[in-house]
Amino acid sequence: MRFLINSKRFNVFADIIFKPVLVLSIVLLIVGLIFAFFLSPDDYQQGSTVRIMYVHVPSAWLSLMTYLIMTVYSIIALAFRMPFGFIVNTAVAPIGAIFTLVCIISGSLWGKPMWGTWWVWDARLTSVAVLFIIYLIIIFINISFENVRVREKIAAIFILVGSINLPIIKFSVDWWNTLHQPATISKLSKPSIDPSMMTPLIIMTIAFIFIGITIAILRIKTEIITRENI
Amino acid sequence: MLLAQNLTLCRLERIIFENISISLSSGKIIILKGKNGSGKTTFLKTILNLLEPTSGTIYWKGKLLSRNLYDYYNNLTYIADKTSSIKQLSVYENIKIWKKIFSSHMNYEKIEEILSILNLKVFLGARVSTLSLGEIKKLELLRLMIENKKIWILDEPFTNLDMETINLIGQTFEDHCKNEGCVIFSSHQDPLIPVSDEVNL
Amino acid sequence: MIFLHKLLNFYYREYKLNLSGFQDILTNITFFFISIFIFIFSIGPEKETYSFLGVGILWTLLLLSSTLSLRKFYQDDFENGNLTLLHLNGFSFELIAILKTFSHFIFVQIPFLLSIPLASILLNVGNEKLYRLTISFLLGALILSSLGSISSSMNLLNKRNYLLGSVIVMIFSIPIIIFSVGIININENFNSLVGILSGILLITFAVNPWASGACLKIAIQNN
Repeated sequence: MRFLINSKRFNVFADIIFKPVLVLSIVLLIVGLIFAFFLSPDDYQQGSTVRIMYVHVPSAWLSLMTYLIMTVYSIIALAFRMPFGFIVNTAVAPIGAIFTLVCIISGSLWGKPMWGTWWVWDARLTSVAVLFIIYLIIIFINISFENVRVREKIAAIFILVGSINLPIIKFSVDWWNTLHQPATISKLSKPSIDPSMMTPLIIMTIAFIFIGITIAILRIKTEIITRENI
Repeated sequence: MLLAQNLTLCRLERIIFENISISLSSGKIIILKGKNGSGKTTFLKTILNLLEPTSGTIYWKGKLLSRNLYDYYNNLTYIADKTSSIKQLSVYENIKIWKKIFSSHMNYEKIEEILSILNLKVFLGARVSTLSLGEIKKLELLRLMIENKKIWILDEPFTNLDMETINLIGQTFEDHCKNEGCVIFSSHQDPLIPVSDEVNL
Repeated sequence: MIFLHKLLNFYYREYKLNLSGFQDILTNITFFFISIFIFIFSIGPEKETYSFLGVGILWTLLLLSSTLSLRKFYQDDFENGNLTLLHLNGFSFELIAILKTFSHFIFVQIPFLLSIPLASILLNVGNEKLYRLTISFLLGALILSSLGSISSSMNLLNKRNYLLGSVIVMIFSIPIIIFSVGIININENFNSLVGILSGILLITFAVNPWASGACLKIAIQNN
């Protein structure tokens, strides 16, 4: 497992697995989309719009998972002095931001037919929006410092502080939501899923993970090359 | 007292300085010579334990510096190339702050005496921002006397100063060495004062 | 005893510094009041609206105007080398962070605290709410100072993007706004909300020294 913390080994390993991962992500995406569009039933309440879920939910999971990965790599990089962690953080932050953005946009597209507006101050939507802003700040930190050695450390510290703060924000937003809104909407955001919908959801999630890995490999390799040429 | 062995520092895969060894014992004045950008300030920061050397070790009184840091910091005065006096306060207020921060026991008569030698006594009530660059630098060097520590580490102490003041500082360095102190300073020009050792970067 | 002496001397220095920069703090408070005026001009003068909205507006403006001065938190001391001097004089970076946080609370947030009664008259906040507002601001301002310490130490070497510091503080202060305004507007569980806010305060206090200390160290090493 040394390829997870060492850039040379990562390069070697990435060259081996890149093509299989790329093929796998495309195949899984096609299969998942076929399942999502043709082989899964309509919802009795929401009709065909429920199919947005197959994009919305995986991207929401992945946006959190990306942050978790960044947190782990920040600890590795800061505590064990492994610069590869900083490389991963820089490379992965925009991917997480894009997943979060996809989650927000698909959520608001889903919300328009369901709630009648593009945006509702629902607890989950608000928390995801906050997560998106945090990703944006990480990217801003990565582009606004001149010294690479400074910005990567600052970004890692910010990620760690953010990982402590995110649960507090989530909790406070949940509390604020129950304070100001009746609980009817939260029923919509916690649906019980039928098995026939579960299969495409799982396939789509795995497809999204593989797409994320593909882009991450490309970005990490680029980042390694950029740093060699400073 | 202070012993640095084979210090090397690399930054972004570029070597700033390589294999520098110094040994600073009481009564010594060491000058650090080098062109602009040759890493004099970086070397001094390494000596101050603000930067970590890529390789090499520093000892203070026979122990590793990082193990004996508190004692080391209690025994040194650092004059940076930037002036640390607060511009919007008066000279007197700055001196008072320094006296408090460095818990100095020097009395004001002594300080006024030194100020009059440095031609600064008339500015005692004036704001630092109204002083000239040379005068601000002289005020900064006054900290050496206020702190009254054993090791003096100075970064480019002679910028903006006239010949008369430089000689005066050289005199002060020698007096300090006679009192079992030691001095290390950097300069890009020839040492204008007598030194006992020279390190080229 | 020596340690206590050191602390007192540090605060003497802070007092002198802030006294000479007192116009900054006054400008800050003026900004606060002007933004209250602008709010009133944009919404309208009906007093009933403000009895409902007043506290929220007040807290938002307090947050905005106290983040304005964050740029000055460490920047001056960093640029003229005083942070290095303090460190060489036995103040660890973590200790500097803690002391500076309290100094910011005393010299920047307390003036805001003193101007709250006047602002609450302007925004028609009642006496009973004023008491709760003061308590929530006391707790919230300490958290804001800690967050300010973290964000401004992160941005010491950031020469281009000045607003980033304020953005970092504001995104992390979402829970503070929610619970502080909650303390004032919700009558039944006052104590539990104060407890939650104090809990957040303790977490921020625990995070602040090492985060700010690490950032200060990075800044001094790479300057």
